[in-house]
This record gives sequence, structure tokens and C-alpha cells, in this order.
Amino acid sequence: MTERSVRRHAAPELAPDATLPDLIERAAAQFPERGIAIFDGRGRRSERRTYREIADAARRSAGRWAALGLEPGERVLIALPTSWSFLDAWLGAMLRGALPVAVAPGAAMGAAQAHLDKIEALTERLGARFVLARDSFRADAAADGTRRSAEVALRADELEGTAPAQFAAPTPAPDDIAFLQLTSGSTGVPRGVMIPHRAALHNSLANDRAIGVPHGAPTSAWADSMVSWLPLHHDMGLIGCLFLSLYAGHDLWLFQPSTFLARPRLWLEHLGHHGRAFAPAPNFGYQLCLERLDAQADLEGLDLSSWSDAMTGAEMVRPETVAGFCERFGPHGFRPEAFRPCYGLAEGTLAVTFDLRGRGLRTRPLPAGATATLGSEGFGLSEVACVGEPIDDTTVEIVGPGGRRLDDSAIGEVWVRGPSVFAGYWNDPEATAEGLEDGWLRTGDLGFLAGGELYLTGRTKDVLILRGHNLMPHEIEWQAEAVTGGGGAQRSGAFSIARGADGEEAVLVVEAVDRDPETLATMAAEIRSRVGRTLSITLADVAFVRRGRIPKTTSGKVQRRQLRHQYLAGTLDILPLGRAGER
Amino acid sequence: MIEGLSEAQTAGLEVIAAIAERPVDELERRHEMVADLGIDSPKALRLLLDLEDRLDIEISDEAAARMDTVGDVLDQLAGVG
Repeated sequence: MTERSVRRHAAPELAPDATLPDLIERAAAQFPERGIAIFDGRGRRSERRTYREIADAARRSAGRWAALGLEPGERVLIALPTSWSFLDAWLGAMLRGALPVAVAPGAAMGAAQAHLDKIEALTERLGARFVLARDSFRADAAADGTRRSAEVALRADELEGTAPAQFAAPTPAPDDIAFLQLTSGSTGVPRGVMIPHRAALHNSLANDRAIGVPHGAPTSAWADSMVSWLPLHHDMGLIGCLFLSLYAGHDLWLFQPSTFLARPRLWLEHLGHHGRAFAPAPNFGYQLCLERLDAQADLEGLDLSSWSDAMTGAEMVRPETVAGFCERFGPHGFRPEAFRPCYGLAEGTLAVTFDLRGRGLRTRPLPAGATATLGSEGFGLSEVACVGEPIDDTTVEIVGPGGRRLDDSAIGEVWVRGPSVFAGYWNDPEATAEGLEDGWLRTGDLGFLAGGELYLTGRTKDVLILRGHNLMPHEIEWQAEAVTGGGGAQRSGAFSIARGADGEEAVLVVEAVDRDPETLATMAAEIRSRVGRTLSITLADVAFVRRGRIPKTTSGKVQRRQLRHQYLAGTLDILPLGRAGER
Repeated sequence: MIEGLSEAQTAGLEVIAAIAERPVDELERRHEMVADLGIDSPKALRLLLDLEDRLDIEISDEAAARMDTVGDVLDQLAGVG
């Protein structure tokens, strides 16, 4: 049988009680020639392995973990960049029956204090048996006095140099926990989201089907490849790329996130080189392509006509970004219908809703009277992106104060029920009780339903409450970016600070290219005026910093809470303003 | 203004200036990549890739790790061309 015919006749369905080990064995048996290629840091060379080789390596790694004394159920932190070491160790720990926990690897050079603190806190919170990290981690942690993580630190070469031991492979039940995903908690230490085997498989299957709806068949029937730069410690990378590829049996091309940030064009080039391909990214990724590829020379030779689906999720979908991307890359074969907005979160394993119509980004006006602070002016703010319909077997409801189910077009908290919903936070019954109510996942996200589809308006935890009015930070940020960057070239972050007895006031921090104090002062005045005009609020402060100074996650999301913390602590390097400013 | 540069070094300086978003003649040898020019790790990789492409050279990770100042980069490019 040729490879092609295997793919055209969809692989056998997984048994209803299948688990992640079954997914790996099935990929090895059904798609032995397909596989994953991982690029080096420069994005020039890649090392490819087939799913059969990946399964073999994962089994060997499981034996190594067993030899090191790792027992089923124990937690292993894996703080490595996208690499074969990461994949072998993660899959191996899972096959051993332990719970792998992927975490951002930290900077290559010089361990940042925040990274050491985070790993130490996680080691403590999860009672991690091992921390598999970069070569320098143990020494850095020991020097820093972060003792617990230093004691359990392990290097990839130590793991890989261990002779595999024989062990009785566990046979997990679908409801057993397979791994933990990390999600940022209110206290700063991430929480471990418990994902059962059942949820991991359900979400992978549902994604395969959802992406395929406009094409008339699941991706497993037609896709050749997926090209991604999303880190594997991010749910969109782990579930949305790795698991989906293992299930659907296409090739997966993985870039380091840092390579994409340095050379976004590489991602686009490869999307044109590997047959019928698809790729997900947060809004920020598409925006980065827009910002960095603007000259004719940057665009020359790009052919995006084989890019079937461009999923956009994991942060607010911004209509201007989508429109700008279509305009810029349309002449290079990109089809606007390829944009597939989706919505998900770690507690939902990954995807919750997915655009199933395949007609590109659709928006609706914000429901009348939704927030009094929103004026009709300002494109993008009054238009809310549709993020699609619930995935298979999943229900989404909009809930108001007191648990009241709201009607269509009323804004409330998004609640989710279905097989992909998580099993609680590791060793945190209080947070679990807050996040899970009678099997419903309370997402903390705000939105409304219309015509059976979800429209996301923001996140409750970031909400600014200004004189009794709720405002989402991105509403302010988008206005500011419209002033400074001609369509949002510069990133910004908005948050609120306490204002005595009066409640909160809004602060905006903007990354600026120009550092001339007079130019900045003029820009500040323009932003204040625009925000005042469109949102009816007065900004307490508009502060400019140099590009790259606003803290962001590895996937590029602005970390507003950290930004706020730096602002209040006076550790933000704020650029001086000229006389036109009021600072 | 840095004087007496080879062709490769001049090109290297232009690459740094473009990424730091500063005019070439404002750059000095003692300028530190991160502290003075805001070239954080994503930008540092961009710098590396741009230097390699523009000058058709390969810079090892070890050499790249030692490029802390503008002067370090210029020294690295001293034998090129």
C-alpha cells in the first residue's frame, strides 16, 4: 500500500477507551513514514524522525526514567526548548505512567532570577521528582540557593546516557491523569491543570474534525503537513500541534519560537513548501508577520497558496490584524477564508470552540448597552470576532451573576462542559472548586453567544473597573496602537492601579521606536485624547518604554500583571517626555 | 562614529544599527547590546542571522555568546572579507 493510499483511507478510529500510549503506537503503526522535523535555533537545518522512530525513542526514554527511579504518578518538570530531548523525555515520562509537566525553558544564557524562582516554586508546589532542564540549570539553581530544584535537577545527557530498565508498562484508564499543563494563577506561581487521557484524545480528535469541516473531511484525510513555531510547553503547541499530528498522521515541522521571532518569514516560507499545510498561531504571530515583512524584498518569492487553514486563537482575535494580514499576503496566495478563529484554554485541554464555516473572520457589533464606556467610534472595538461553535460533544453557556444562564447576545462568563474539560488543579482543591462547578468549567473569559457561535469580549481577570464601568485592557491598547503605529505596529499594555478611595485608574505603557521626548509627548497627548474620545476615560498615565521592554510570555502575550508590578515597583525604564506631556 | 573599519565591519555595524533602530554614527564600540541598544534575546538572534546572511559567514554559538558589545561584534568580523 502506498503512503498516499494509507492517508486517503482514514486511519482506524481509536477505541473508546484509548489512552495517549495508544495514540503513539497507532501513529507508529499507521503512519510509519510520516514524522516530525525539528529545526535548529537558526531555522536552517532540521532533524527529522518518523512516528515509528519517535515511538521507539519514547519507549527507550520510559525505560530510562524507570531506571532513574521515576515511579508512576510522580511529577517531572521538563524545562527544555523544542528539541528531540524534550519530546523523548516528555513522551517517555508519560509512557512510564508519570505526569510530565512542560515549562518554559528560560533564557539560554544566564539564568534569569524569575525563571529560577518559578521553577523552585513549581518544584515545591507539584512535589516534582525531577526537573529536566538546560545544562547550566543545576549550577545556577545551586548558586542561587534554590535548593529543592537544584537537588532534583537532571540534564538531558544524564537522562539519555542512562541504560533503559525493564519495567511493567502501566495500562492507564481513560480517566487517569496523563499530564499537567501549566496555567498562570493569580498568585504568580502557575497551577498544574490535570488532563486525563480521555480529554487529551478527545480534543485531538475534535480538532481534526473541526478543522476539516469546511473541507468536507477531517485533516487526516487531506493534510500533508503542519508548520509551527509554538512552544511545546504551550497548550496550542502540545495539543494543537503535537497530538493533532500524532492523531491525524501528517508531517509536523517545528521551529523554535525564538527563530520565528527573529525571522517570521521562515514560518511562511515553509508553509509554502510542504504540500497542503495548515498552522495555528496567536493573533500576535500574524501581527508580527505584518510588522516585520513590509518591504517588497521581504515578500518576494512567498507562495502561500497551499496554506489551507490559519487558525488564530489563544488570545483576542483582532480584526485589524486579520484584515492587514489578508491584504499584505493576499497577493502571495493567502486566502482570507483560510483564517479560522478559535478559542480555548489549558483547562479545556485546548480547543473549546472553532470556526466551522471557513469563510474567514466574521464579526458582530458589540451588543447594545453592553458597556456604557464603549462609544461607537473606533473600528475594532465595537466589532467582536466570532470564535466559532463548540467542538464535538461540548456545550458552551454564558452565565451571569449568581449562575444565571443568559440569553443570546448578553455578555457574561463563558462556561464549558464536555469530555475535554480538565479534572482539576493539582493539589489545589480551592482553585478547583472555583474553576469547576458541577462539571462546568468556569473559564473566567467574557463573551456572548449569537446564532450558536461564541463571540469573545475579554477576560474577567484582566478587567479594569473604572468608575463602575468594566473595560478590557485591549480596548485601551488597541486605541493606543492605532495612534502610535499606523495599525498597531507597537505593542502596549494597559492595567489599572488603586486610586485611593475612588477605586481604580488606568495606566497605559507603550513601546516606542522614536525616543525624542517631544515626539513622545505629542503621541501621549494624542493617545489620551483618542482614549478619552472613544472610551470616555481619562488615563492616569501614559508611559513609554523602549521596544521589547514590555514583559511578554514566550508565545508573545503581554503579561499585564507583571507589567503593572514593574510599573508600581519603579523598575520599568520609562522614557522621558517633552513639554507637551503632562507627566 | 567608529573609524577605520573594514568593509565587513561596516556592513556589520549597519546590521546592528538597523536592529537597534539607531543611526550608524551614534553607535560606539563600548555600547552594550542589551543595556545600551535594547538588543534582547530575540533581537540578538535576528542580529546573528542577519550578520550571517549579509556577510555569508557562520558564527558559532560560542562566538555569539561572547558578543556583548558593539566592539565584540566588530572584533568577530575583523578577519572577514
